Amino acid sequence: MSILLLLLAGFFLPLFPLSMVFNALLARFSHPAARVALIVVWPQLGVLLVLAAGLPLDGLHGGLFLWWGLATAAFYAWRLLTVREIGQWAAMLATSAFALTWVMAAASRHAADLQVFALGFAMAPALLVVIATLLERRIGAAYSGLVTGMARDVPRLAGLLTVVLLAAMALPISPGFFAMLDLLFRSPPGPVMLALLTWLLWSWAGTRLLRDTVFGPRSGAETADICPAQAWAFTAVIVLAIVLKLIWTGA
Amino acid sequence: MSRLTLGHRLKIRSMVHMAAEPIPFFWPMRTFIHHNPLHGLEHLPFEQGVRRGEELFHGRGFLPRREYQRYHREGQVDMATLQADIAHFLDDHEPIGGLELEGLLKSLLCELSDPVAVPLDLADAEDAKHVIDGFGPSSETGVDIEALHRRLVRQFPPERPLYESMDLLFGTEIGTTLDELVIKSCLDFFDEGQSTLQMPGRDHGFFTAWSALAKRNLRLFLRGLHIKQILAQDASAEGVIAYVLDELGIEEAHWDGLITRELTRLHGWAGFIRWRSSAKRYHWSQAYPADLVDFLAIRLVLGLALIREHARRKRLPATFPELAHYLEQHTAECYLRQAYHGGNILPAWAHRVDDALAHRHPGRVNRLLPDYLHDERVAEANRQADRLLALAEAADQTEAVKALDVEQLEALLALIRDFERGEGMMWLRAMEAVYRKSVLNEIKLLPPAKREKRPFAQALFCIDVRSERIRRQLEHVGDYQTFGIAGFFGVPVSFIGLGKGTELDLCPVQITPKNLVLEVPTGATQIETDFYSSASHVLHDVKSSVLSPYFTVEAMGLLFGFDMIGNTIAPRVYNRWRNRIEPKDASTRLLIDKLSREQADSIVRSLQRVTIVRAIGDQLGIDRDAITDLMIRELREIAMGNKEGTSEFARHFALSPAAESEFIETLRRDYRINPSFVSMQMERLGKIGFSLDEQVYFVGQALRMMGMNENFSRFVILAGHASQSDNNPYESALDCGACGGGHGLVPARVLAQMANKADVRRRLRKQGIDIPDDTWFLPAQHNTTSDVIQLHDLDLLPTSHLVYMERLRNGLRAASRLCAAERLPTLEDNVDPHLDTTTAFRHIQRNISDWTQVRPEWGLARNAAVVVGGRHLTEDMDMEGRSFLLSYDYKLDPKGRLLDTILSGPLIIGEWINLEHYFSAVDNEGFGSGSKAYHNVAGRFGVMTGNLSDIRTGLPSQTVLKDGRPYHEPLRLLVIIEAPVPHVLAAAGRVPKALSLIVNGWINVVVADPESGHLHYFDRGEWHDLGPAPQRARQTESIDAEESPA
Repeated sequence: MSILLLLLAGFFLPLFPLSMVFNALLARFSHPAARVALIVVWPQLGVLLVLAAGLPLDGLHGGLFLWWGLATAAFYAWRLLTVREIGQWAAMLATSAFALTWVMAAASRHAADLQVFALGFAMAPALLVVIATLLERRIGAAYSGLVTGMARDVPRLAGLLTVVLLAAMALPISPGFFAMLDLLFRSPPGPVMLALLTWLLWSWAGTRLLRDTVFGPRSGAETADICPAQAWAFTAVIVLAIVLKLIWTGA
Repeated sequence: MSRLTLGHRLKIRSMVHMAAEPIPFFWPMRTFIHHNPLHGLEHLPFEQGVRRGEELFHGRGFLPRREYQRYHREGQVDMATLQADIAHFLDDHEPIGGLELEGLLKSLLCELSDPVAVPLDLADAEDAKHVIDGFGPSSETGVDIEALHRRLVRQFPPERPLYESMDLLFGTEIGTTLDELVIKSCLDFFDEGQSTLQMPGRDHGFFTAWSALAKRNLRLFLRGLHIKQILAQDASAEGVIAYVLDELGIEEAHWDGLITRELTRLHGWAGFIRWRSSAKRYHWSQAYPADLVDFLAIRLVLGLALIREHARRKRLPATFPELAHYLEQHTAECYLRQAYHGGNILPAWAHRVDDALAHRHPGRVNRLLPDYLHDERVAEANRQADRLLALAEAADQTEAVKALDVEQLEALLALIRDFERGEGMMWLRAMEAVYRKSVLNEIKLLPPAKREKRPFAQALFCIDVRSERIRRQLEHVGDYQTFGIAGFFGVPVSFIGLGKGTELDLCPVQITPKNLVLEVPTGATQIETDFYSSASHVLHDVKSSVLSPYFTVEAMGLLFGFDMIGNTIAPRVYNRWRNRIEPKDASTRLLIDKLSREQADSIVRSLQRVTIVRAIGDQLGIDRDAITDLMIRELREIAMGNKEGTSEFARHFALSPAAESEFIETLRRDYRINPSFVSMQMERLGKIGFSLDEQVYFVGQALRMMGMNENFSRFVILAGHASQSDNNPYESALDCGACGGGHGLVPARVLAQMANKADVRRRLRKQGIDIPDDTWFLPAQHNTTSDVIQLHDLDLLPTSHLVYMERLRNGLRAASRLCAAERLPTLEDNVDPHLDTTTAFRHIQRNISDWTQVRPEWGLARNAAVVVGGRHLTEDMDMEGRSFLLSYDYKLDPKGRLLDTILSGPLIIGEWINLEHYFSAVDNEGFGSGSKAYHNVAGRFGVMTGNLSDIRTGLPSQTVLKDGRPYHEPLRLLVIIEAPVPHVLAAAGRVPKALSLIVNGWINVVVADPESGHLHYFDRGEWHDLGPAPQRARQTESIDAEESPA
């Protein structure tokens, strides 16, 4: 029974190739609210299934799902390097990050740890999906390399994209950073090495995305920036996520 | 050995030489030379030159329309001129339908911020017409593969570097990698002491040294770049160029075009190498020769290696014929590729096209193409129609535009395209008209008022625009008369400062000085080699060695911390304290008189004796006390070959014949006590100083040029100028352009020393220039950053003048403070309008030592005019530091020779300064050097953006922009010459360069004819009489009114 539950959870805490369902659904939904909801809720369903199977994951099954999750995370992180569509980038980042929940499941006994872990990693992709929509409305597509040098002409949108991408790379003091630290401190050296590689790939891919959108000489059609109210709303969400995570981790 | 014949090699050399003609020189930043970045295109009319410059250097020659519109809103655009230019443009065009074209084009300029004409690749006027009428494009889009192929062939000509084509088609980024590799090679070779480790074999030349290293470069080999294989084909740079171009399959007819594009890609480096190879007296060029042939050869070798590596790995075309074949075979794919990698893809299609191209499946690409072309055509038609309708609405001619048929619409689009291509020039002319009218309205073209008595002091300043403010303030505070002269005071000198080993040319770059001036200590103050100086040297040595920096940071980092904190928190106070512990400048004189042969011989002998004493100490450990003058003289004679046999020195110290002979050989070889070196020293000493005739000539010419032949004051201040700032690689850009980017004090000291000589004055008197005995020429330096005027050589001042010094100092100080108060609001925001001059002066002082200050002064920004004539023309005007003021009296120049000098020297310097500012303001990224904040010094001669970029030419954004908008109003230089028209025309005819600048419109010229009282303006190839100068007309009217019976 538990193996079936875990396999079912593999759709929600995406394990390749089951992860294709999550990515296909994200690609299918065009409304940002639906996509954000999917990113936030989907992994929580997976966590519930894992909890139903019992924590911590150990034995042969535990090892299998742990390494399967790590391999999926590394694979999608590597794929990020070649993806230029920001919505798709966010989906793959989410897939890569959620797959790491399996490592956490092997190391933790508490349901809340898993739930917060998945939630912490959901923030950056969810915000990125919203930013991608804003870009699509302005430029026609959220595609890196299509419009560069955004920092000069649309500083608010560029600033927001930068902060969210830094959070996507799980840099301090984003929720992803603390989630990652939590994972690294709880796990044995083998999985830690692969998790670190995944983290490195996120940073590399994120930097490339920044380079091809925010920085560099100005190119592409001129476009309007987001209004200050929108910028403040985004900032509030980011600050709230950071503060909640800080409170949770006791930092 | 080269496989090419000498003739073929020379042909390639001349090809490179010709291709590099449009690339402007880049001088090392230690002596920043302002120059027109389009200097190589000045033979073309301005507008044409700008267009060609835009193509070559990928810059923008005019401001974007919205910037001009902003100027228009601020009242800085002359609408009459703009309308006249629109009318002039329409003279060559037929009316279109019921449109009122003049109004339409005026609305286009003043009310729409974006261009109206959209580049139409697929859509046409018929499509736009359908959209305007409320339908979609006229018919379904067919795929004409032949037409697409023709377009691609035009887009990828043989003159285009192959790697550029590959980058655009396959997104390979070879061009960026190649630029990086070439820049690294240049940094290694051209380094002037910044790096700790030097590139080996530099004395053999750029290409040879680089080849030797590249053949053994393991990193390049591991990257798959087989450089050795390419270099094995030919030993000469020319041979390698020919080999690579042959290998790429480029026919020889296209080589020159390709070479131009290769060289202009890194035009900063190319400009530096071009200058360096022509600067035969430049030390680094003599020691490590390099030219553009070397540069091109290295670039082509690396380019070919990169192309081959990518072609091998990704199965791409590796030669031009292969590329042509690929375009033909994969036309649809190539069309989508260039759209995608060129950033022109329709955004909504980016993902689909990317996917299709990544799969490289011809069927999928071919299926995609018709839909994509259709969407692109629709998008183009919609965009064009929208903009046209926006224009029509702005001009209130919507119905008239809608009523046009397809042919009329096509004609309208062509007209708008043509108009928008030339609109920059119209805006520029309209802005210039406003400035020109404002100046000409105030110019006082009246005979100068006769002075009752001589002024208290006369001050000669550089023509620099920054002198205008201080001159005005000085005239305001007291009985001072000021003159303007090129900052080298007409005396081209080469200068060797105290303790320096190299010559510095202090004159405009077009002139090569014949005379050398040495700075020698008077002995009045001891030259300090104290603890502070020694510590500085030790610190520098420790910093620049290989290993020591690792522990230096720990051990001595705190010392730098003091500097950092002091300079950041309280720069003024900290530097005042620091100046106290730094060694003081030694008291010096300039050696300006020619040496006789005997004097030169005596100097050489004296130096040789000092050297021999040092050699005896170094080599044999014998102190000076133990040897006599006789021994030294004898050793010198033996070393020079004038005497043979055992010396008294050898006998006295019991040296064996072998030891003595070895020591003599060391003297000859290492200490250069030999006849050939003496002969070289004598030749160099012959350059020192000026003969009396030369001194009389230079003083006489300088005074006559300014119209200064009588009424001399007690003090004649010769004020050279210099700037002072910290942490500023561009400091020399703020120094004197007429002194080759150096300080103006030395030429001032030289001229003062000459003019104070009794012999010189006696001879000048015979020439009609009577300088009274109580007149004293006093050198000074105007610090343009702090506004302080510092007097020099005061120890030479006659006692009779000392009693007037306090008054003189007071006057200068007051002028400095007033000038600082005037400048402060331009440098700081929210300055209290009632701020006292003392506080303002203190604020300004901070800029000279504040290392965080990116804009210590505005320098020559906002320069706009040159006034050649008497001070009476502008004495009542506040020219806001925007005008070069050059004193000239045509009455003292009946043959026009002095005007020739002005036109061939100061005028051209002014034009270079003006256009450097113009282009840096118009396109700071393209022609300027971007923000200083990202600059790094490269090799001690230039700056780069980041750690690896082209050498940044032009001016930084902080010099010409404020809050992202031009602070410098980009206008061409307005040259006003006070002289009769025939006099000016004759002089211009004798100076071809000046004539070319005038005729081609690189400067605007107005002749203010004092005899007729009329102003004459040269525009579009002809002179226009503007009528009497307004001031003169007003005076005539008032005289008429007084004389007329009531």
